[in-house]
Amino acid sequence: MDERPSVSVPGPPYAERARAAEPRASTGLSERSEAEVRALASMSRGIYPLARAEALRGLAAVLEAADTCSGVAEQCYGCAVELMRDEDEGVRLASVRLIAICMDKFAGREGWDGNGNGDQTDLMFLQLSSMARDMSTKVRIEAFNALGKSHRVSEGVLLQSLSKKVIKPSTGSGSIIKGKKLPPKLIFPCAAGIFAHGIEDEFYQVRTAACKSLGALSKFSTQYAQKALDLLMDMMNDDTEAVRMQTLHTLFYMATYGCLSVQEMHMHMFLGLLIDTNALIRDATRKILGLVNLPKLQMFKSAIDVLITSLEKNPEISMSSDGELILDKPRIKALLIVSISVSFSDDKHNKLDIPEIIFLHAISLLGKISCALGEVVDQNSLLSYLCQKSGTPFWKTRLLSAESGETEGCNVETVAGIRAQIEKTEKSTECLDQVLTMQSMKTIIETVERAWAMRKSCNICDVRTILRSCKEELIILASNSSGSTGAFLCFLCEYLDAVQFIVETSRSIQLDNSYGLGPTSLDVLLKKLDTSILRMKCCYAGFNREMEVQVCELALLANLLRLSKDGIHSKLVLEKLHWTINRLECLCADGSCELSYFSREIKKAFDANFVGSDVCTLLELFHLKPKTDYGMLKAISAVLQVRDNDSENPSSYVCGLPVGVSFDVSLCNFSRHDRLWLRMIVGESIQHTFLEISSFGGNDEVKCCSTTIPFFATPMAWSFVLRMMNETTEMEKLISGGIDTYRSGHLE
Amino acid sequence: MAIECLVLGAGQEVGKSCVVVTIGGKRVMFDCGMHMGYHDSRRYPDFARALALAPSAADYTAAISCVVITHFHLDHIGALPYFTEVCGYHGPVYMTYPTKALAPLMLEDYRKVMVDQRGEEEQYSYEDILCCMKKVIPLDLKQTVQVDKDLVIRAYYAGHVLGAAMIYAKVGDAAMVYTGDYNMTPDRHLGAAQIDRMKLDLLITESTYAKTVRDSKHAREREFLKAVHKCVSGGGKVLIPTFALGRAQELCILLDDYWERMNLKIPIYFSAGLTIQANMYYKMLIGWTSQKIKNSYTVHNPFDFKHVCHFERSFINNPGPCVLFATPGMISGGFSLEVFKKWAPSEKNLVTLPGYCVAGTIGHKLMSGKPTTIDIDKDTRIDVRCQIHQLSFSPHTDSKGIMDLTEYLSPNHVILVHGEKPQMAFLKERIESELGMQCYYPANNETVSIPTTQNLRINATEKFITGCSSTPQTGNNAQKQNLGFGGCTEARGILLMEKSKTPKILCEDELLHLLGMEKHLVHFEPLPCSRMKEAESTDEPLLSSRIEEVKQSDGSAVQQASLADLGCERNE
Repeated sequence: MDERPSVSVPGPPYAERARAAEPRASTGLSERSEAEVRALASMSRGIYPLARAEALRGLAAVLEAADTCSGVAEQCYGCAVELMRDEDEGVRLASVRLIAICMDKFAGREGWDGNGNGDQTDLMFLQLSSMARDMSTKVRIEAFNALGKSHRVSEGVLLQSLSKKVIKPSTGSGSIIKGKKLPPKLIFPCAAGIFAHGIEDEFYQVRTAACKSLGALSKFSTQYAQKALDLLMDMMNDDTEAVRMQTLHTLFYMATYGCLSVQEMHMHMFLGLLIDTNALIRDATRKILGLVNLPKLQMFKSAIDVLITSLEKNPEISMSSDGELILDKPRIKALLIVSISVSFSDDKHNKLDIPEIIFLHAISLLGKISCALGEVVDQNSLLSYLCQKSGTPFWKTRLLSAESGETEGCNVETVAGIRAQIEKTEKSTECLDQVLTMQSMKTIIETVERAWAMRKSCNICDVRTILRSCKEELIILASNSSGSTGAFLCFLCEYLDAVQFIVETSRSIQLDNSYGLGPTSLDVLLKKLDTSILRMKCCYAGFNREMEVQVCELALLANLLRLSKDGIHSKLVLEKLHWTINRLECLCADGSCELSYFSREIKKAFDANFVGSDVCTLLELFHLKPKTDYGMLKAISAVLQVRDNDSENPSSYVCGLPVGVSFDVSLCNFSRHDRLWLRMIVGESIQHTFLEISSFGGNDEVKCCSTTIPFFATPMAWSFVLRMMNETTEMEKLISGGIDTYRSGHLE
Repeated sequence: MAIECLVLGAGQEVGKSCVVVTIGGKRVMFDCGMHMGYHDSRRYPDFARALALAPSAADYTAAISCVVITHFHLDHIGALPYFTEVCGYHGPVYMTYPTKALAPLMLEDYRKVMVDQRGEEEQYSYEDILCCMKKVIPLDLKQTVQVDKDLVIRAYYAGHVLGAAMIYAKVGDAAMVYTGDYNMTPDRHLGAAQIDRMKLDLLITESTYAKTVRDSKHAREREFLKAVHKCVSGGGKVLIPTFALGRAQELCILLDDYWERMNLKIPIYFSAGLTIQANMYYKMLIGWTSQKIKNSYTVHNPFDFKHVCHFERSFINNPGPCVLFATPGMISGGFSLEVFKKWAPSEKNLVTLPGYCVAGTIGHKLMSGKPTTIDIDKDTRIDVRCQIHQLSFSPHTDSKGIMDLTEYLSPNHVILVHGEKPQMAFLKERIESELGMQCYYPANNETVSIPTTQNLRINATEKFITGCSSTPQTGNNAQKQNLGFGGCTEARGILLMEKSKTPKILCEDELLHLLGMEKHLVHFEPLPCSRMKEAESTDEPLLSSRIEEVKQSDGSAVQQASLADLGCERNE
């Protein structure tokens, strides 16, 4: 009974003292913390509720400071579970907190997930779930918050947390005794359907917490995510604005993680929110709609209709208000798509005044818009329409000449009109396409430059999104073009990759202070950056000087980044840097292009052995300016295909004797002076074979050859997998085509 | 000590809730309801049995320590005026403030129906009701009331209806909770049940929905609103027959909110004066409503319904859409029947039905299949063409809620009342198998006896306590033990229980002193020479173990001897 006297603990609370004593050396910690844990654990069995709660808080403080692998977590967990059903709500609250920390510590251990500890995680999840049904509001909030932080919970447990009814396991493991099938039992009957309870809770704080956790957990299971969405739909009708906002945030979170699949039954809710009286809610809804894929055209159309209504009703989101338009936001994309579609819909909306600039921006999003409109319009007509609307000069002159002055044709209003018109101008489209591609390419490059400029000021995720969407557009453009334009678009893709790696690397250099053992994400990023630059260098032929300078500058930057990570005494990096600087000087020696300020400063610093110059400030000097003049760029590629062999019907061989491997090689844009090796790898043994370019047939652009090469080092085994790849030697290794071959034979 | 639990009503049925619990000589009557299904003596609990529990008591006042009413529904309070005024109970009656305020309304309304409409003999008069209410002592939530020297009661929030409470009662170490009706999920206007976790011997819980697990209330609300909106936007009229208190307010808040959001201008009417009167009380008793209402109360009173308009009887013939709340809930007569007759023939109109209807009422007829015609009496027959929507809002908790509450309180025993027998049997199985608690569901007039835990106060001598806290110096553990705040080290002592004295724990040497006895030591001889050969031939281990025993035995042997002495002494 709670008539027990509550006693205040004299002196500062233990948790505070523990925290104050925290920054001591972690080496001597284990001995001490063990003693502390034992002391606190015994206190947690005391008779005074306040003292018990304080003891648990103390344990939490010790545990926070403790090593993940020490046994402290187990002891704390034991104490917390014992007091989970305490009579005092303060103790229960502290117990939930402690369990949450324990869960975190357990999950932080290496190999925790792999070693069949799923049951343990599930058990903890269930324990927390059962606390989410507590009568104390504070405990419920804490429990829901803790649930949201759990790692890797099994799907069955997750699904049960949504349904109040006991879900029967599909495997039929429900025990059968005396011919009577017993219903499956739960360890904690009240843990079932806690989220269903949570979203109906009386206190909006609990509902908010439940909603947040729903979203956080939905990335573990798609089935769970779908069912969670149904619950979230109900929460959009909540009478508290905070809960509705949290619901939208949760949906946004789910959409970001790609676990939001909107069905038709959910649409009415989204549509209702689009015309909500609250501007914040409308805004959040648009954000979400910008991220989800709508599976049906019908749904998309209805979304657009409502978006337009919303646009008309609420002028505050009119996009050209201050002339500034950033293409990074899904919202803007959605709006662009809408405005384009407006013109394709009925006449009613035709009077909507859409500024020219919108159409100009829309060109770079052509791929997306045409995907969105589906079969309604084809890409060409859409593009021509956009150009016409945006007032791109080329379109006008071209059209005039092609259509012998039929200027009225520009006044496109219906889809049919566009189609008819495009059929007329079919001949001109090809040439037109290229110019339009250039146009959108320029827009993309501008966008990238802007994104680069704002990399410091805004969220890295935003920059990443911009770069990614730019890259998507580029890929779409590249797939539709060929020749040097196509090569350049591919090159730009690589370039964007490099830019993204640079942005992320410099960000993580800023953030990362800890030098942990083993490869960190930073190492991985730098490696990726190097590969990306290498590909730019080696996979393209016919660089003009400017482009080569550009690539070299990127290489400089990459080396600088590596220097800033490894320190300025790394000999290897310095050598590379030296090489790159020399190359740059050599390129600019005849004065045809100028060494940039960035390169000059680096050279100065390098000559001075980096004395008196800060690597970070040098990094700042880099100015991103992608070149658009690509000349006769060619993409070098090679395809290697093994004949008469697949994993179903492998070729046979005799162990220890050489085996002939027949394959086809086709090379694109290889020069006569290139040299080509074939590398074959089985396990440890590597065999290099030289391929004579002169033996290849075909023209300058594409060369083909079929040949059989003996592979000598066949292993003494029933079967083996052979990996082969082409290598050219012009500069460094160029991985141009890799193929996995599976062969097997019979030992005789 | 045991808890005797006599179920006078609502045992394996719903109606006339009444349980008399005897704890340590104190007798508490929980609820005093009437059965709405009977019109003879069966409508009241058999109070004589309660009197029979206490053979020495002359009247009810002596036999029963107090009566506690959980909420104002007639099946929980209906028999109270009869018990106090007719049977002559003059002891204390406890109920919460809102119950005390609303109970006379309910009782008087029912008395009128009984006397005026059915023409039955009057069981109690209006004055009796007032008289009865004067005996009521109001309770506040979480207020501990000392009924007498031993008996303590406390009320906890139960949801269900305005002012509904769960009652905690305690005599000595025996404690129990009687839930009355409760709801574990919050409504629009009422919160969810809330109670502290306590050590309980017995939990008496309602089990109206012992087998049902309800899905989310959001879906149900949505369906209801959709049906109503569809009807009124098609120009139809919506008839919502309800009981005056509780559901009417709940549904009205729901509709009022919806009207506000959707910006609808269609009028909502309340037909009965009782509802309007009840709304007034609701406005006053904001403290007993849900958190949401309490929060919004600062801005505006949610029971000041914006869209509810003044109503007059002639309005039912007016054209155009409207929503009307009318009593009684099951269309068993009164105004709701009158309106039903008018509105049922039109396809545009909608009639909503409450969750359950008593057999024989029109509501029940509408629920069971969709009839095209209904005979009101010999002469009148109505064409029913209107739409029917069945409400599934219930202020009772579902099976999951009962399980959750039981698990949360973790009592030693559970008694189920206020439910139907087969469902109760099902729930009993679940509670016993899943929660591992003893569970009963007695029928009316049956008694269940529950053993209780009893705590015993024990004194300890000073020497024993100091002996406990001083650390046993054993090897290298000593230092760790010092840090351990005593930890869970074991202590040895002797429990001494003497007649008419509090038992106490003392040390071994203190006992010798107390008994005035010398310490006896028993020595075991090493094996005599004569048996040497025998031992050698049979079992060598025996030899060594005996020697060990001698080394250790000095202490333990004495203990056993002295305990034996003690036993003799106690038996005297």
